[in-house]
Amino acid sequence: MSSIPWPFPNPRGLVSSVKARANKRVQSWARKRQGTDPNTTTLGSGRVYILPTGVGVLFGLMVFAMLLGSMNYNNNLSFVLTFFLIGLGFVAMHQCQRNLVGLELTFAGADSVFAGQSIRFRVAVTNQSKSARYGIRLYAPGTESDVHDLQPGESKVFILPVPTDKRGRISLERFGVRTLFPFELFRSWAWLHMNINGLVYPTPADTAPPPPATMVAHGHRQHDARGEEDFAGLRKYQEGDSPRHVAWKAYARTGQLLSKQFAGADTSSQWFDFNEIASLDVETRLSILTRWIVDADRTLEDYGLRLPGAEFAPAHGEKHRRQCLETLALFDGGTS
Amino acid sequence: MGKPRGTDGALLSSLPWTLTALVFSLAPHVPFIPIWITGAFLCCAGWRYVIEKQRRALPGTWIRAVLALGCFLGVLATYGGISGVGPGSALLAIMAALKLLETRKRRDQFVLLFLSIFLVMSSLLREQYLWSLPYMLLCILVVMTAWLRMSAGESQTARQSFATGSRLLMYAAPLAIVMWVFFPRISTPFWAVPIDTSRATSGLSDTMSPGDISELSMSDEVAFRVSFDDAIPEPRDRYWRGLVLTRFNGRTWSGREPGISRFARDQIEVIGERVDYNITLEPTRQQWIFALDIPYTWSLSKTFMGPQQQLARSIPVDQRISYSATSYTDYRVQTDLSRQYRIWYSDLPEGSNPRTAELAREMRAAAGSDRAFVNAVLDKLNQEEYYYTLEPPPLGSNPVDRFLFETRRGFCEHYASAFSVMMRSVGIPTRIVLGYHGGELNPMGGHLTVRQSDAHAWTEIWIAGLGWHRVDPTAAVAPERIEMSASDAAFDGISAAWGFAAPSRLLHQMALTWDALNTKWNEWILGYGPDTQNSFMQWLGMNEPSWRKMLLTLVGLVIGIIMLLSVMMMIRYRPPARDAAALQYQRFVKKTGLNPQTGETPRVFALRVQASGSIPSSAIETVTEAYMVARYGPGGDAAVERLKQAVQAIA
Repeated sequence: MSSIPWPFPNPRGLVSSVKARANKRVQSWARKRQGTDPNTTTLGSGRVYILPTGVGVLFGLMVFAMLLGSMNYNNNLSFVLTFFLIGLGFVAMHQCQRNLVGLELTFAGADSVFAGQSIRFRVAVTNQSKSARYGIRLYAPGTESDVHDLQPGESKVFILPVPTDKRGRISLERFGVRTLFPFELFRSWAWLHMNINGLVYPTPADTAPPPPATMVAHGHRQHDARGEEDFAGLRKYQEGDSPRHVAWKAYARTGQLLSKQFAGADTSSQWFDFNEIASLDVETRLSILTRWIVDADRTLEDYGLRLPGAEFAPAHGEKHRRQCLETLALFDGGTS
Repeated sequence: MGKPRGTDGALLSSLPWTLTALVFSLAPHVPFIPIWITGAFLCCAGWRYVIEKQRRALPGTWIRAVLALGCFLGVLATYGGISGVGPGSALLAIMAALKLLETRKRRDQFVLLFLSIFLVMSSLLREQYLWSLPYMLLCILVVMTAWLRMSAGESQTARQSFATGSRLLMYAAPLAIVMWVFFPRISTPFWAVPIDTSRATSGLSDTMSPGDISELSMSDEVAFRVSFDDAIPEPRDRYWRGLVLTRFNGRTWSGREPGISRFARDQIEVIGERVDYNITLEPTRQQWIFALDIPYTWSLSKTFMGPQQQLARSIPVDQRISYSATSYTDYRVQTDLSRQYRIWYSDLPEGSNPRTAELAREMRAAAGSDRAFVNAVLDKLNQEEYYYTLEPPPLGSNPVDRFLFETRRGFCEHYASAFSVMMRSVGIPTRIVLGYHGGELNPMGGHLTVRQSDAHAWTEIWIAGLGWHRVDPTAAVAPERIEMSASDAAFDGISAAWGFAAPSRLLHQMALTWDALNTKWNEWILGYGPDTQNSFMQWLGMNEPSWRKMLLTLVGLVIGIIMLLSVMMMIRYRPPARDAAALQYQRFVKKTGLNPQTGETPRVFALRVQASGSIPSSAIETVTEAYMVARYGPGGDAAVERLKQAVQAIA
C-alpha cells in the first residue's frame, strides 16, 4: 500500500512477502485485541500505531551521518543543527500520532451497485478537537480514499470505493485510517473493524432474450386535444407493439427498435419469472432478470418478479425496483 | 530515455518554498565557491520556476547529462579534487541545481530538501560566527516549511504551513538544547579532518629567522581571548608564553618538537599571587597552547608541559578550544642548571656573526659582571640609533651582524635574536620565547583580546640564583610598544589622521561590544568541548562526569521532555468540553445497548429503543423529553438535574 518515494526501490519479492506475512499477523493480533468496533468509533491512543516511512528511515540515516560528522569536527553549531533535526523527528512522531487520536469515524452507508461496479462505502470522519487535522486518508485492501484536512469541529465524508465482482452482501471486514502529517517521516494508522456492508445486485446481462410477452390490460385511452397521448418514454420493441409507436428516428440512429410509450396508454404489466428462463444456470438467469428489471424500470413499465420463494406483483417505481433487485442480490435458492 | 513530459503546475504551491530553502542554505557559501556555480544554480532555479509556471516540458535526459558532466568537470578543474568542505559544498550546489531540472513530482523535492540541509551543515563547518546560529535556525524553519508545503493538501495555505513549522521547531528546541548540553563530546576525531587549504592558517611558526613575524604583525585576526576570574594582570606582565627556541644555526632559531618533560613543572618555584583565567584559542593547526607566563596548572586534556615550560597538546588545535589555566607572574624557574645545559644553552655555530661575538666579548670585559653586561647591552639598544619597524630591510648571510651594525632596523625578532647571540657569545645561557604580548582590554566583557598583531618574541637568560629570567630587548628599543598594543596605536593614528575622534571612538565602542559578545559566544558555545563540558557537568552537580553518566542524563531528560510534549499535544487536541446534558444522554445511550445512527434524532432513537423493548417505554419518554429540555430549553442546571435523575432511574 505504501509507495516509497525515489530513490528507494519498492521492495518486492522476498521482502514484500515477509512483510505481507508480518502484516497479516499484526492485523489478526489487532483484530483480537480491538474486537468489533461499533459503527461510530472514536480512536483511542492505544490503537493508533506508528512506524517510520522510507523517507523517515532516510532522514534517520542522514541525521546519524550528521551526528558522526559533528562529533568528528567537534563543531558545536552543527551539533545544534543535528540535535534540532533529531528533536524535530521526535516531535514529528508525536504530532503524527496525535493527528489521528481522538478522531471519530462513523459508517455512513453505501449505495448498492451492480456487480462489477465499485461500491462506494461512505465513512464520516469528525474532528472533535480544537486543532485542525491534516492529511487524513482512509484505506482498505486494494483501495484508498482521497486525502482530506479537517478543521476543528469539521466532519467530512470519506469515500472508499471497493470493486465488486459478484452479487450479494459485501462487507468490509477491516479498513484503516492513516496520516503522514507533518513531514512524511512517520506513518501512523489505526485499523477499524466495523460492521460495514453493502448490497451488490447481479450484473445486468449484456445479451438477454426479450422479456416474456406482455399481457396488455386495455385501459381507457385518454386523448388530448390533438388526439395524441402524452409521450412518456421509450422501451425496447416487443412483438405486438404498434408500428405506429416505433421510434423510427432512434432506429435510424442506433439500429435498435424502440417503442414509444405514452402515459395513459395501455398499461402493460409483465411477469419476469425465474423459472420461465429455461436451461440456464442460476446466475445467468438472475443476470437476465436484472437486465429486464433495469430496462423495464427505465421505460416505466410495470413489472412483476417471480422467484422460487418470492413474488412481487407488477408495479414500478424506485422502491419496487430496489425490492426486486435486493431479492435478486440475496437469492440463494433455485436449486432447493 | 523517456520523452520529456510537460509539467502540470502541481508543484507551484511547493516549488517556490523549496527554491527559497535552497537559496537560504546556499547563501553563506557564495563568497567561497566559484561564481559560476552560484550563477549556474540561479539559472537552473529560475529556469525550473518558469517551466513550472508555463507548464513546459523539463529538459531532456541528454541535456541534463551534458550539464552534469560539465559542472562536475568544472568543479574538478577549479578545486583539483572533490574532498573537503570547499569542493563538497560546490558539488552539493551543483547537485541541487541539476536535481531541480528533473524534479517532476512533489516528492522529488525530498532530495532537494536533504541537499539543502547538507548545505547548511557544510556552511557551519566552514565558519561559525555569532550570527550563524540564528541564520541556521532560520534556514531550518524555511526548509521545514518547504517540507510541509510539499506534503500539504490543497486546503493548506503557506501561512498555515509556516505556523506549523514554527510550532514544531519550538517544540523541538528544548530537546535540541538538552541533547546539545549533555551529549558527550569527544576530543579525538574518528577520521582525519581535512584541512581547508582555501584559508591561510595563522599562528606562529616553529622556527624564527628574522623576517617571519612581520606578516603576522599586520594581521588583525584574533589569536585568542582571555577572561580573568579576578584582577587583570598589569600590561607589563601580559606575556603569553608559546613555544621556546633553543638552537641557532647562524640564521634561524629553532626549538624542539612538542614533548613532555617530567621535571619542567617541578622546576617552577612560584612566588607571588596566582592568576586564574580562561582562554578561548582560535584554531592554529599547531600543537602549541598559549598561557600567561608562567603557566602552573591548566584544564585541557592531552596537554603537557615541555622541557622549557612550554605547553603543547598531543593533537593539533583544529577547532576553537576553550580552557582555563592558572599562572604566576612572579616566579623562578630552574634556579639550578647543570654545566652541560649551560653549555648547551649558549651554543653558537662556529664563525657566524663574528662582529657581534667580538662586540659582546668586549662589552662583557668592560662591564665586569653578567648583570652589568646585560644592562649595558640593553642600554646600547636603547640609546644608540635603533629603530623599531615592521618593514625591516633584508639581511644577508650574517643577519645579526648586519642588523646590529648596518641596518639597525627591525622588530622583536631582530632584537631578540641579536640579544641572544650577544648573550650566548659570552656564555650566558639564553633561549628565545615566541608568543604574544599585550592584548586589548575590552571594558564591556572585562576580557583581553589578543590578536595576531600582538605576536612577540622575547628572551630568557639564565642567571645563577635567579634561574631563567625574562628579558625583552624590544622594550629597550620601543617602550611604547610594550606599554600599548599595536592595534591601539594604529587606531589612534587613524582617528588623528582623519580628524574625527568622536565618531571613531563610537565605532571603537561598538567594535568592543561586538567583541565582548563574540568572546562569550566563543567561550560558551563554540568552545564547548570535552573539558568545558566536564567542568559544566561538575558545576551542575554531577560527580566525576563520564560519558556514561551524561548519556544517561540525556536519555532521561529527553524522555521527560517528550512526555511533557505529549501532554501538551493532548491538551492541544483535546475535544471541546461536552455539555452536561449530552454527557447524561450518553449514559442513557449506553444503558440501551444500541447505537444512535448518524442523523437520527433523539425521538427517532427513542422509537427504536422502544421497539427493542429493553427499557420500559415510559422511562424512555421521560429521558428523551428531559434531554430535549435540558439541551435546547431554557431550563438550566435544574433541567440537567432532572435528566440525570431520569437516567439514574433506569436500572
